[in-house]
Amino acid sequence: MAVKALGSYDFPSRSRQELYGDDMLVHVWWKDNPMFCAAATFRAPTAMTWADFKAQMIDPWAGSDPAYDPAFAFAWGYDGGDFAPDEAKTLAELGVGHKHTISMAAPRT
Amino acid sequence: MTTTPKKPKKLSMKARYSALTRDLDWEPSYVEFEKLYPHVTYEGIKIHDWSKWEDPFRLTVDAYYKYQAEKDKRLYSVLDGFAQGQGHLTLSEAKYLNAMKIFLGGVTPLEYQAHRHFAYLSRHFAGPGPRFAALCQSIDEMRHCQTEIHTLSNYNKYYSGFHNFTTQHDRVWYLSVPKSYFDDALSAGPFEFLIAIGFSFEFLLTNLLFVPFMSAASFNGDLPTMTFGFSAQSDESRHMTLGLEAIKFLLEQDEDNVPIVQEWVDKWFWRGYRVAAIVAQMLDYMLPRPVMSWKEAFELYFERQMLDGLFPDLAYYGIKPPRFVQQAIDEKEILSHAVYWVFYNFSFAANFTTTIPTEEHQAWLKQAYPDTFEKYYQPRWDRAKEIADDGGRFFFGGLPQLCQVCQIPMTFPEPGDPTTICQRNSEYNGENYNFCSDGCQWIFDREPEKYIQAWLPVHQIYQGNCGGPSVPEVLAWYGIAEGDNGEYEGSLDHVNWTRWHAQQADITGAHPDAQDAAVDAAAVKEA
Repeated sequence: MAVKALGSYDFPSRSRQELYGDDMLVHVWWKDNPMFCAAATFRAPTAMTWADFKAQMIDPWAGSDPAYDPAFAFAWGYDGGDFAPDEAKTLAELGVGHKHTISMAAPRT
Repeated sequence: MTTTPKKPKKLSMKARYSALTRDLDWEPSYVEFEKLYPHVTYEGIKIHDWSKWEDPFRLTVDAYYKYQAEKDKRLYSVLDGFAQGQGHLTLSEAKYLNAMKIFLGGVTPLEYQAHRHFAYLSRHFAGPGPRFAALCQSIDEMRHCQTEIHTLSNYNKYYSGFHNFTTQHDRVWYLSVPKSYFDDALSAGPFEFLIAIGFSFEFLLTNLLFVPFMSAASFNGDLPTMTFGFSAQSDESRHMTLGLEAIKFLLEQDEDNVPIVQEWVDKWFWRGYRVAAIVAQMLDYMLPRPVMSWKEAFELYFERQMLDGLFPDLAYYGIKPPRFVQQAIDEKEILSHAVYWVFYNFSFAANFTTTIPTEEHQAWLKQAYPDTFEKYYQPRWDRAKEIADDGGRFFFGGLPQLCQVCQIPMTFPEPGDPTTICQRNSEYNGENYNFCSDGCQWIFDREPEKYIQAWLPVHQIYQGNCGGPSVPEVLAWYGIAEGDNGEYEGSLDHVNWTRWHAQQADITGAHPDAQDAAVDAAAVKEA
C-alpha cells in the first residue's frame, strides 16, 4: 500500500549505502550473551577482511564483557543462516550486505 | 404606566457555545470548498455531515480561560512554596529525578508538537465543531508544555540532566523514539493525526502514560509534578473524550471509513505501545519508592478499561481490538526489564543515570514478576554486580542496532521466548530494513516510502551528522555535560544528595561539609 499524500511522494532512503561511501553498516548480534541488550551496528569498509573486522570492530565491542575471549570458536551466522567466514576474505567477498546481520554464539554441542 | 426596558437575555451555556462555533461557520461563496479545505479528502475518509460532530464539553472561551487561570494559580503557588522550602531535599532520593529527566525531554516537547498540530487542525477541519475542539486542545497543549517546563525547571538549579532538553529531544538517541512517533503523526493527514494522537495516544494510552507518572511523583515526594499532573488531568479527560468522539464520528459518517480507521487503530496502537515502553521501565526501575508495576498498570488501564470496556462498544461499528494486541499483552511480563536493561547498557550516552537495583528493589521486582524476573533478569544484574565489584561498570561499548520504525534498540524478545531477541527484516527497493517486532514490520510494509526516511540516531552518527565519530564528540553535540550521564552511584547528583543530607543531619555544624554548604548556598543565590 502506498502512502496517501496530497502530492507525489518519492523520497530516498536516509540510510542508503551510498551515504557511507565505500563503507556499509553491519550488525553483529551476540545471540547467547544477554548482557548485550541488542545487536551492535558498525560502519565497516566493504573491502575490510574478516580478520580485521573481527579484531578492530567485534573484539573491542564484545570486550565490554570482561568474560569475552577473542580466541573462542564461535558459531557464526548470517541473516539466520550458517556462516563460515574466511579470515582473508573481505566482507564484500563473504557476501555481507549493507544493514544485514552477522550473529555469533557458542557452538551447539 | 412606565415600562423598564427589558434586560438583554443572557444566553445559556449551550446557546453561547452554539453561537461561538456554529454561527462562525459559513459556506464559501467565491472559493471552492476543496480549495478552502484541501486536506480533508485525500486520506479517503468520507464526511457527509460535519454538523454531526458533537462536542460533549461545550466549553466557551471565557469559561475555558477562567478554569485554566484558577488551575495555574494553584500550581504556581505550589511551585513557589516548594522552591522556597527547599522541597527538593524531601524527594525519596535524587535518582528518582531520572524519571523526570526522561519526562522533560521525552514528553514536554510532544506537548508543544501537539499544540502546533491541533492549531493546524483548527484551521483545516471543514466543520466548526471539530475546529473549535481542536483549537481548545491546541491551547491546552501549550499550557501543558509551559507548566511542565516551569515545574521541572526548579530541579534544574540543583540537579544534572535537565539543562538542555529541547536540543536533546531533536538529537539524543532514545528521545528519537517519542519524537519519531510525533513526526509520523504530524506528517500524516488530519484524520490519521486525530486517530494517532486524539484516539491512540490520548485515549488508549494516556492513563498508562500519565497516571503512573503522577502517582509516582506523589509517592516520591515530588509535589510540583503531582500538582502539575492534576492540573493537566482535567484537560486530559477532555482530550480523551474528544478522541473517542472523533473515532465515533468518523465511523458513523460512512461505512467505507471503517477499514481505514481500523488500520490506523492497528498502527497507532503499536506505535504508542512501543513509546509506552519508556514508561514501563520508569515505573518498575526508576522509582526509589515503586507505586505499581507496569504489569499491574497495563492490566488495569489497558486490559480492563480499554480492551474489556471500550472495544466491545467499538465492535458495534465493526472495529476490532488492535492487531498485535496479544503480543503487547504477552510482553507485559518482560517489557520494563528489557527496556531498563537497554538504558543500563547505554546511560553513558543519556542525560540521566542508571544503576543496579538495590536488593530490596529486586525483592519487589521478584514479587511483582514471579514468572520472569528471577529466571531471566536477575542473572544479568548479578553479573553486572560482579563486574562492579571488580571495579568495573558494564556498558555496551558500541552502538546498537535500531528498529527502523520505533527506533528503539532491537532488544525485544521473540513472542513466547524471553531468551531470544526478535529480529525481523524487509527488503524495499533492494535495501534491507530491520525491525524489533511483527508490529513494527507490519507498519513499515504498509508505508515503506515513509519509514525509509527515518532519522535513525545510530545511522546518523555513522554518516558523520552528529558532531563527530567518537563518543565524547557525539555527547558534546547532544549537549550532555559531565555529571549528566553514566552510573548513578558516585554521580554528581548522588554525591550532592549525600552531602546535602549530611549537612542537614549535622546540627552542630562540625561536619567538614558545613563549609561547603555555605559556599553552595551562595552559589545558588548568585545563579
